[in-house]
Amino acid sequence: MSKPTPADIENLVEMFNRSDWEEMHLKTDDMEIFLSNDANARAPSASAAVPPLSAAVAAVSAPAPAGAIASANPAMPVATTVSVPDGMVAVLAPNLGSFYRAPKPGAPPYVEVGQTITAATEVCLIEVMKLFTPVKAGVDGIVREVCVNDGEMVEYEQVLVIIEPAS
Amino acid sequence: MAIKRVLVANRGEIALRIIRAAHALGIEAVQVVSSADRDSAAARLADRVIVLGPAASKLSYLDANLVVHAAISSGCDALHPGYGFLSERASLARLCSDNGVIFVGPDADVIDSLGDKLRARAIAEGAGVPLVPGTDRIASAKDARKAAEELGFPVVMKASAGGGGRGMFVARDAQALDDSFDKASTEALEAFGDGTLYMERYVEDARHVEVQVAGDGEGRVVHYGERDCSVQRRYQKVVEEAPCALMPAHLRQALHESAVSLLASLKYRNAGTVEFLYDVPREAFYFIEVNTRIQVEHPVSEQVTGQDLVQTQFRIAAGEVGALPQQAHIHLNRHAIECRLNAEDAANNFMPSPGRITRWSPPQGTGVRIDSHCEDGYLVPPYYDSMIGKLIVTADDRPAAVARLQDALDDFAIEGLTSNLPLLRAIAVHEDFIDNRFHTKWLEETLLPTFEKDIAGGT
Repeated sequence: MSKPTPADIENLVEMFNRSDWEEMHLKTDDMEIFLSNDANARAPSASAAVPPLSAAVAAVSAPAPAGAIASANPAMPVATTVSVPDGMVAVLAPNLGSFYRAPKPGAPPYVEVGQTITAATEVCLIEVMKLFTPVKAGVDGIVREVCVNDGEMVEYEQVLVIIEPAS
Repeated sequence: MAIKRVLVANRGEIALRIIRAAHALGIEAVQVVSSADRDSAAARLADRVIVLGPAASKLSYLDANLVVHAAISSGCDALHPGYGFLSERASLARLCSDNGVIFVGPDADVIDSLGDKLRARAIAEGAGVPLVPGTDRIASAKDARKAAEELGFPVVMKASAGGGGRGMFVARDAQALDDSFDKASTEALEAFGDGTLYMERYVEDARHVEVQVAGDGEGRVVHYGERDCSVQRRYQKVVEEAPCALMPAHLRQALHESAVSLLASLKYRNAGTVEFLYDVPREAFYFIEVNTRIQVEHPVSEQVTGQDLVQTQFRIAAGEVGALPQQAHIHLNRHAIECRLNAEDAANNFMPSPGRITRWSPPQGTGVRIDSHCEDGYLVPPYYDSMIGKLIVTADDRPAAVARLQDALDDFAIEGLTSNLPLLRAIAVHEDFIDNRFHTKWLEETLLPTFEKDIAGGT
């Protein structure tokens, strides 16, 4: 499917409004769209966390990360599972919490993509009820991807950062 | 319904029970799990699943911060704690209310006061609820003798500073008091740094009875009748039934009134259970403690009243008008019996026996209810309580319920792991159980010795 035009999306929303559906969740290689009549509904992909507007809500998101798992119930978001390419090492969440890239708001992030780090480098913070715990890389190498947006909730063993280990 | 989305802070059958009650009321359910329960039935039934941490309870289900963080992050406006785990931690209730999440249960302060044994006893005493007759501190064997003559033998001496049986002994006559008093006092002094002893009447052949109650938080409290949970092993309930069929009507009424007045004095909110020791020959009952949560055995009360206690919990927590039924509308009729199914080997010192269930075939039919999270292929993880489900039967009266229980247990098939089904069957057909002649030590003292011999004999 080619990249949808704004008109395509307008048509979809119109079709949805005419239908008796509660929600619609459409995903292709290039895009993901989530429509709901429930103002409190949230898109199934964490990357599509656009605040709902009114009655029928359209939230168009960037492509979902590769290997994203679709939720059985699209009304609520699910954790995004990122597939880790061969030879890469994933830093996993030690427990549920909120993910922060920087030690405090406005401060530069712990690490940037492309940065060379050691096993002892702190790569992010996980916060649980105002208790902040830094997470260490655990391996020497280069940061290749930061998989979670700042402030998002992560679950136990969710992939946070992908590192290419030093050979 | 003022509650839109609830976080289910538990696992197993009670998590399923809570999710179903929530859905029936139009509430969305967010299930938190450990990594061992990702594929559980509750995780599949819930509207959303959040993995808290690894399998160990301490790092997942028992971490109040993780649980409340998940509730806030997922937009839950309420949290149901179930039973066990964090359900009776005042700190969890407090953490919820501090963060604008409705705790489906009583206020933190009420949980605190009822969780402290001595404070709970004082509250009970203040509400006119009978306690086991006892004494203040006793200084010598001679004073003990005098006190025992007033209370009546047998008596039990306990250390005022601690528990665990240290400094404790049962005396059936004055001689036994003389023989053991000094030794017990020394034992208490060594164990707790305080040799003070006190005395209580020792209730032999006691029944464990408890009253299911619910309160609206404004001072109105209703009861749902009593349960008899006297078939126990090491203080773990195995079979529970409602009502306590051998209790005379006047005593039953007094029991209900005691439970209601105790919790009304605290303006108790939500469901709770007041536990008593029932001294059958003396026709007396004594307060033990209050459980400030839904209990494992709540289904038997639901069966004899037709009320849904978990839905009522949600309605009360949501502050719904008329959430608490009128007492006159709670009718007690019929008889219900619950058996706890455990993945444990009764023939091998009750060793837990987790593993994969290759066949789960529960009985069906009139008056048969199964509350369970198990199914064919389910792996019972080794990290948690061994309970795999509850069988609840209901019939017009106790004899009919016992007959139905026997049939249902015969029809139950569980393969792949060792369950306590053989023990439950042995209980259900034992003449003492059929005749309703047992007490809290009956299972250990009467049934188990012969049961173990039969097993050893190769039957």
